[in-house]
Amino acid sequence: MTARRRWISLLTALALGPCLVAGSLEAGSPDGPGAPAWQAADKTPAEESVAAPRPPKERMEVSVLVAWTWLSILVLFWLVRLRAREADRVYRLGLRGPTAKPPKGAGH
Amino acid sequence: MKLPYSLFSRRAFLNGLIGGWAAALGAAFIRPVIKYILPPTPEPDQVSLPLADVKDMAAGSVHGFAWGNKPGLLKKAEDGSFIAFVGVCTHLDCNVSYIPEQKRFYCACHEGWYDENGLNIAGPPPSPLRRLEVSVEGDEMIVRKQA
Amino acid sequence: MKTLRPWFEERLGLGAVIGFLEKKEVPQHRHTIFYYTGSSILFFLGIQIVTGVLLALYYRPTLAEANASVARIVTELPLGWLLRSVHSWSSTFMIAIVFIHLLGVAFTKAYRRPREATWVTGVLLLAVSLAFGFTGYLLPWDELSLAATKVGTNLPRPIPVVGAWLTGIMRAGEDVTGDTLSRFFIFHVSVLPLALLAIVGVHLFLVQRHGMSVPLEEERKGVQGPVLPFWPNFAFREAGVWLILLGLLVTVAVFAAPGLGPQADLMAAAPEGIKPEWYFLFLFQTLKLFPARILGLNGEMVAVLIMMAGMGLFTLLPFFDDRPAGRKGKIITGLMGAGLAYAVGMSIWSLL
Repeated sequence: MTARRRWISLLTALALGPCLVAGSLEAGSPDGPGAPAWQAADKTPAEESVAAPRPPKERMEVSVLVAWTWLSILVLFWLVRLRAREADRVYRLGLRGPTAKPPKGAGH
Repeated sequence: MKLPYSLFSRRAFLNGLIGGWAAALGAAFIRPVIKYILPPTPEPDQVSLPLADVKDMAAGSVHGFAWGNKPGLLKKAEDGSFIAFVGVCTHLDCNVSYIPEQKRFYCACHEGWYDENGLNIAGPPPSPLRRLEVSVEGDEMIVRKQA
Repeated sequence: MKTLRPWFEERLGLGAVIGFLEKKEVPQHRHTIFYYTGSSILFFLGIQIVTGVLLALYYRPTLAEANASVARIVTELPLGWLLRSVHSWSSTFMIAIVFIHLLGVAFTKAYRRPREATWVTGVLLLAVSLAFGFTGYLLPWDELSLAATKVGTNLPRPIPVVGAWLTGIMRAGEDVTGDTLSRFFIFHVSVLPLALLAIVGVHLFLVQRHGMSVPLEEERKGVQGPVLPFWPNFAFREAGVWLILLGLLVTVAVFAAPGLGPQADLMAAAPEGIKPEWYFLFLFQTLKLFPARILGLNGEMVAVLIMMAGMGLFTLLPFFDDRPAGRKGKIITGLMGAGLAYAVGMSIWSLL
């Protein structure tokens, strides 16, 4: 891992870590508004928190949707990385300028 | 078949891939969002009315009841039988009223008229009032959707 | 596609904007990562607006129905629970990145001349963001949010002369009632969004006008360091960051969806363990620790006045730190560090 990536991971962890900790503490505390959502099995109506999707069909729908979102995020991230590298290459080759169009002809 | 030059630049290709996949990601959310924005408000399969409320109705009179979110109209015919309608005008969804003196249903929005059997007789309504089935079960009168 | 671009260009002339963005340069140095924070905030803001509007389709802002309408969204409507969870978590993420953005700007002293106005609009945006969080927190109208709102709206009361009046304006009267809910709702969905859009417009204009600031150490080198064009190089990198943030948000929203407490009862005793959202914890803890009387004055009043003075100084920071490279600048940096340590320390303490 390069030094820069280490910095990025550390900063992200430092920034989001406390948020997640605070959030999960709040979620865990019995009086907080948070309570485990859709993993919770049976909740009677008298209880504080409201359960999330229970019907198995909806749970499957949600799992598929979330899995598709994650997959798409990974694929898109990789594609965007390719595109960013292409942009860097173009910049370093000095092909940018008032006539920004790439030349037509052999080997675009 | 080898082409002498590529049809589009690397940049355009990658842009297209990114845009396309992002659109596919977005498309996955269209159905859930539409289901959220248009929740189903189904009509009830049946509604029960206590028999005590309706058994003493005068012949030729109409008793209103709730059919889901719409008004229902229960009419006692001259011969004592019951007939029920969804009291919504088939023209543009206004609620209709019953005029006992004329034995007709009237929609005030555009002056639509229906006869005592719900048939559209005058004005803009294109079809008769929607019929509901009525039956007596025990001490309740059950109104159902027509089969 | 080829015919589409000239058609739009002839009518909208947005080529000038793209041209500007292509010429805009983003300096590359040790602290370039902070340049990503601004657009990340906008990303979460966009998510908030979309999820917020969808929630508002079914939310009912009245005393009788608020809690029930949220319960309905979360149980009956398809993916309603996920929508609410995303809205709630995205607000946390957005405010967290607002703070990171603030720290980046403060510690690299990007507020120094000529960017003082950018800083001031930024502080206003911080206030608006926190107001969003505060007003939104009441809307589910459960026990905890009612208690937190009572405490929060009570804060201005000790201010001399205008204190009770300010509390009255926030609460729509002496006490927290259904009118308070209506007031908070309209602020949350209308007044604050309009204010936010207006101030963000000015803030963004100023940022484009002055360009990206570089840390003092870079400036001192004299020559311009390496840069990247904003479009398309930096913009695609920002897109990558957005994707990572989206992934984090979806993950957290699915596995840690917030629940809903029982409907608030205006007559009931305050529940145990009330606390505000995490970004107010350090203020909450400070108030808890302040002695009731200081030098004969009301302790709460002193605390609130100190907080207000602090906020005022903070807003005018660029005007105090007019020689950032000198000794005064270093002292101010030290004070900022102390302030940060205080806020973090107090927040953690309040959770123990």
